[in-house]
Amino acid sequence: MAVKKNIEVIDTLQSVELGEGVEIMLRIAGPFPRALALLLDMLIIGGVMLIFTIIMVILEITSGNPYVAEGIRLIVAFFVSWGYFVYFECGRRGATVGKRALGLRVVDRSGNNASRGQIFVRNILRLVDMMPGIPGMAAGVFIGSFGLGFMCCILTKKFQRIGDLVANTVVVYTHPDYVVTGQQPNVEHPVAPTAALAREEQVAIADFYNRAGLWSEARRIELADHASELTREKGMRGMVKLLGMAKWIKERGK
Amino acid sequence: MKESDFEAKNTQDWRQYDMVMENLERGNHDAVDTPKVPGMVRKLCSDLSLARHRMYGSRTCENLNYRVTRGHKLVAKADGGFRDKVVKFFMADFPQAMRKEWKLLVVCWLVFLVPFFVMWMSYSYDQEWADSMLGDGAKGDLDASYGKGDDSNLSMRDEFGANFMMFGHYIHNNIGIDLLIFAGGALAGIGSLFFLAVNGLSMGASLAYVLNEGSPEKLLSFVSGHVSYELLGMVVAGMAGMRIGLAMIKPGQMSRAKALLESGKSGLPLIIGACCLTFLAAIIEGFWSAQNVSPDIKYKVGYAGWFLLALYFIFVGRGKKYAA
Repeated sequence: MAVKKNIEVIDTLQSVELGEGVEIMLRIAGPFPRALALLLDMLIIGGVMLIFTIIMVILEITSGNPYVAEGIRLIVAFFVSWGYFVYFECGRRGATVGKRALGLRVVDRSGNNASRGQIFVRNILRLVDMMPGIPGMAAGVFIGSFGLGFMCCILTKKFQRIGDLVANTVVVYTHPDYVVTGQQPNVEHPVAPTAALAREEQVAIADFYNRAGLWSEARRIELADHASELTREKGMRGMVKLLGMAKWIKERGK
Repeated sequence: MKESDFEAKNTQDWRQYDMVMENLERGNHDAVDTPKVPGMVRKLCSDLSLARHRMYGSRTCENLNYRVTRGHKLVAKADGGFRDKVVKFFMADFPQAMRKEWKLLVVCWLVFLVPFFVMWMSYSYDQEWADSMLGDGAKGDLDASYGKGDDSNLSMRDEFGANFMMFGHYIHNNIGIDLLIFAGGALAGIGSLFFLAVNGLSMGASLAYVLNEGSPEKLLSFVSGHVSYELLGMVVAGMAGMRIGLAMIKPGQMSRAKALLESGKSGLPLIIGACCLTFLAAIIEGFWSAQNVSPDIKYKVGYAGWFLLALYFIFVGRGKKYAA
């Protein structure tokens, strides 16, 4: 939950401070969901182009004059292969069909919608990210291993490929991820802590309460034992007392 | 205040906020009291700060975080009219960017022209260089279009729709090459330089071959109309790519990451401009260059093209009105 000031949080959450003075957390998507989204998009582009090409070739053969159909085929192939990603990512949802299916979208690094220019740049540079591969436009799909993009993703903190770095964009999850909290422990009495606690310590104890539903009783006791200096108790009693303190911290009058 | 009390107190507001966001995202502006929206977003910001400060559970915080992120996107959006942007691009951004990057313009022209002339000149000493650059296939194509005989396959362009097909081919191929040259810049600039130089070599070889073995007038009158826009488009794409490449090699005072994203911003007007130039070239190459018009007129159109481009890039977008 809260941001710890001096502690480097190892997390896919990236905090961005807004003009309103509040920090928002962006959940950055890693290479794996992005690869799946990409695969889906490639299948869609490939499928569409295959069907379209077959139709146009039949038209070319049957109409007697192949030129117009061939011209249309070439222009459409160009706009589909280069424009599919740009068109969909410029849309209101900021995501291609594949990204939407995985609950992802492209945003500016500030959490804002990315501009058309940013989308354009990040998608031309897709060609470099997909290296080593074949930058041919066979069937309208660029085929590549995305090795460079993958390496760049795992080497940068915000999982950005080269196109993202140049365009200043990130790919994020659109919806919050609810930690499964299970049954919240039932605490009868708030207990005042025996010593004055720093804010970080209060956060830690509140987090203990918030997540207690995830753990078995033995695990809760094991963790609560680390705070036995504060609770002056061990085992079950210590755990109950620590939960009481958490309740006190969370509910103290305001 | 207990978490549940906090939620109970604000649920009404939050639900209303969600509905407003839903409407705004659907573009349904009439159903929303727009002037109130920024205030609502700020209220949510303060709710989020309070929830974090009071250490409420992660579900509450996550929900509020989601709502703030959603509202921030809509409130902080700076979207001018699309038409204004297009006008500003052609009247100011593009020529200004070209003048600002004049050094890169010179460098990229040289990277293209030096191999071009070297290959062309080499033909009179040793034909093998040009031959190996072209290969039998390309030589056959050149013979078919610009060979010595009377018939040229350019005359197939008189058939209905043939011009349109070639227009499609030029879009597909030539703008694709521009984008490739730009993307190649992200390999520390090597990709851009490579494609520029290779294009210079193969064009130099083609020109030398036709000048010596074919009928030059067919080639020159065909290319004269569009060559200015097409070559400049390619060179400008190279400039855009080199912007990115230079940011990697020589970030200067900035960190490399910062230099990269700045290069994206300064390269953008160039690559869009390059695509426009090449698109223009494709129109001319498709619908004008193969017309049955006397070579004299075609050459004049060609010179006019260079002249117009020079005028455009030297004079457009100056003055106070367009000051950056």
